[in-house]
Amino acid sequence: MDEMDDDETFDEAAYDGQDADADLLEEELRRAAGILDPVPAQLRQIAVEAYALHDLDAKIAELTFDSVVDAIPVRGATDVPRMLTFRAGEVTVDVEVTGEGLMGQVLPPQQASVEVLSGPQTGAPLTTDDMGRFTYGGSPAGPFALRLRTGREAIVTDWLTV
Amino acid sequence: MRAELAPSTAYDDLPYTRGGDVDRADVGALVQSAVDGDAAAWKALVEGLSPLVWSVVRAHRLSDADAHEVYQTVWFRFAQHLGRIREPQKAGSWLASTARHECLKVLKSLRRLTPTDDPQLLDRVSEDRTPEQSLLDSEEAAVESERVRHLWQEFEELGDRCRQLLRILMASPPPSYQEVSAALGIAVGSIGPLRQRCLRRLRARLEARGAV
Repeated sequence: MDEMDDDETFDEAAYDGQDADADLLEEELRRAAGILDPVPAQLRQIAVEAYALHDLDAKIAELTFDSVVDAIPVRGATDVPRMLTFRAGEVTVDVEVTGEGLMGQVLPPQQASVEVLSGPQTGAPLTTDDMGRFTYGGSPAGPFALRLRTGREAIVTDWLTV
Repeated sequence: MRAELAPSTAYDDLPYTRGGDVDRADVGALVQSAVDGDAAAWKALVEGLSPLVWSVVRAHRLSDADAHEVYQTVWFRFAQHLGRIREPQKAGSWLASTARHECLKVLKSLRRLTPTDDPQLLDRVSEDRTPEQSLLDSEEAAVESERVRHLWQEFEELGDRCRQLLRILMASPPPSYQEVSAALGIAVGSIGPLRQRCLRRLRARLEARGAV
């Protein structure tokens, strides 16, 4: 793991007291990064526009289960749906994401409107059935969150990348 | 996530010797203003901390498409949690830590769901010319341009740990060690010595190449 010692070919003592040189080199790297690998301008703009997602009225449903992190991988399985569970107080949202779209269920079962979000813009509006189930045919690749309105409250899930 | 930030509290009392352009002490105030509805404060946060988030994403060597998506996810989550963040003055560490965890997740999900390359998005990237890039186009700058490219090549060929650490450190404005710690999940106390080693190593590579 420690590749630090792999190429110890130079004399450490000869480099003592070279703090100023380290600072200089770091500064050169900073300049090089500004030239060769800057933050893409349109990403910066998207981050500026993300301010619209600031909403203190909505409750945040935290991600409490993510199959990428919490599940044991199935050997040889290639097209495994990603299973996510979000929770805000008494309300739980289970979501299953595949390449074809997503299916979900709001528990306890209830009617709710659901928006699939991929950014600050308004998302595709869906309505759950009496069992709290909903499906979405689009492919939710990229940044992803759900905004729910139940009879009582507005809930937004944690953002993640799918 | 939070546990990893905790051990570094001993350094909180030390004044930051890094973090020149944006005074990190202002970050807490900017967060508060943004919570109160000040869009300019939000923009200032984006300007000051975008390079840090981008550095974390780049340090983890995601594909371009994944890097773009994670960067966005991090800022969307930050906007969403704004006003609920317990230590607003540490928003930089919050962003760095969130970016790191999201990168690790993306790397872990062996197979992403869909073709993630958005050609339009990537085309737009290549059309972006920073003022620095345009300057490098001029003939007088050819030598300088060569120097920068050599430096970057040698940096890219460092071992993973050094490459990761230096990619974070070179964010502009320079991140605090708190933020570096959050970005890489390493102890604050180990950053200084590791930084010295990595920069010495890079200097040695440059000297060996004769491109000092």
